[in-house]
Amino acid sequence: MSDLHWMTAASAARAIATKELSPVDLTKALLDRVEKLDPTLNAFIRVDGEAAMAAAKAAETEAQSGRLRGPLHGVPVGIKDIIDVAGLPTTCHSKVLQDNMATADAVCVEKLRGAGAIVLGKLSTHEFAIGGPSFDLPWPPARNPWNPDHHPGGSSSGSGSGVAAGLFPMALGTDTGGSVRNPASCCGIVGLKPTYGLVSRRGVFPLSFTLDHIGPMTRTVTDNALMLESIAGHDPLDPGSAAGAQGHYGAALDRSLRGLRIGFVRHFHEIDTPADPEVTAALEHVARSLQLEGADLRDIKLPSLNEFGAVNRVILQSEAWSIHGPWLGERPGDYGQLARRRLMAGAFMSAGDYMLASRRRLQMIAEVEAALRDVDVLLCASSMDPACRIEDTAEVERTYPRQARTPFNVTGHPALAMMAGLSKGGLPVSVQFVGRYFDEATVFQVARAWERAAGTDKKHPAIG
Amino acid sequence: MNKETIEMLARSAGLAKALAEFPDDVTVAATQAADVARKIKRPIDPRAEPWPPMKAGTTL
Repeated sequence: MSDLHWMTAASAARAIATKELSPVDLTKALLDRVEKLDPTLNAFIRVDGEAAMAAAKAAETEAQSGRLRGPLHGVPVGIKDIIDVAGLPTTCHSKVLQDNMATADAVCVEKLRGAGAIVLGKLSTHEFAIGGPSFDLPWPPARNPWNPDHHPGGSSSGSGSGVAAGLFPMALGTDTGGSVRNPASCCGIVGLKPTYGLVSRRGVFPLSFTLDHIGPMTRTVTDNALMLESIAGHDPLDPGSAAGAQGHYGAALDRSLRGLRIGFVRHFHEIDTPADPEVTAALEHVARSLQLEGADLRDIKLPSLNEFGAVNRVILQSEAWSIHGPWLGERPGDYGQLARRRLMAGAFMSAGDYMLASRRRLQMIAEVEAALRDVDVLLCASSMDPACRIEDTAEVERTYPRQARTPFNVTGHPALAMMAGLSKGGLPVSVQFVGRYFDEATVFQVARAWERAAGTDKKHPAIG
Repeated sequence: MNKETIEMLARSAGLAKALAEFPDDVTVAATQAADVARKIKRPIDPRAEPWPPMKAGTTL
């Protein structure tokens, strides 16, 4: 079998189940690729090769005797380093937690292992999922495999970079203001922020309690649905966990779009934050393609991106300050400059600011819910620009807030970002699909229709 | 927000050490926070509730 590194999770799991592929060969091939490419990409903070090979050998023995743990049996996965993996430090890419050893797996990791996945190691992130890309931390920032001079998005930067580069077929990311969908957009992969509460947050270092989501990052829509099925489910020990939430997310993947109503939120990228023309053209192309697939397309208006962004920032920085305040008081020098600045902002927000944002939040939820009574799925921009050069600090600062992801952290609706095409400069541009609460299956249906029409799952960076 | 206000708020928030070691970062953080809430429309209805709500007996 050639090109093991471009195998999808679904096809690898299938081949392992039919004994055509050895989990040991797959894991070894990916670890070899990590050894070759990661010095350029910095996707990993820690490769756990020995444990991964031991798990692969166990998976092989089980598969040979016909015992499969679950739908991801023998498939390697990367874990963002704010998520606990037993026996490894959860550093949050920060000097502050450099020796923070995890004693148990986070629930999402435990579920992945239960489904048969093999943990390859811990992945780079923006410091505490907020400060990056930064060059003043104990580890370098991850880079974009489409062009390593460019940033891979964040904060789940190693997850996006590694999936796109074929270091692993799937990764876990987290998303508080867009941190799964930003690297998915920059790296041209599929990233889902599920409905709030669908995936347990237990064992994941918090950034903002009411905005944090854990989400799957993969190269294909099918793999994303497969991974979500493995990590979703109620956790009585996570106060935000949704009761009885689990479904068959791949159920509608190959269903026609005929009769499906899609609302195009044009004002996000045309008026609120005017997008790069290549992004605008790509979004129009996606919309036309979905119409050709049978969808009924109409324009939808939501509150402005500017206001969504303000509500997100007030809530995020206030809640994050409640976590980081004591450390910032005692050891501010242990943070990188970007995280220090962003996290200290919460010290200057008032209780009145937080309550204002929280009250407006409910009204915004009502407005998005009203829109989703008229349509089945929303289509909108994710990033307004292709990824800029990682060392161009001014351009990183200019382009970072130019996005339409934070609205759905504020409201908690499921939102998926994926490739909409490639820019003239050879970097991915992106599109976002948003669905009703717990209706990830319809989001995947639309995303799969676009993937099938455009062949985005066949586009890989020319690296390695 | 003027310099004195920033310093006063920073000290009362426990950021005296940060203020001494990273005064520019404290100023940037305060500036970031200063205007953001003004971009949010204030609900007119005094009964407008915050989200998430208090719900007794639904979790844990």
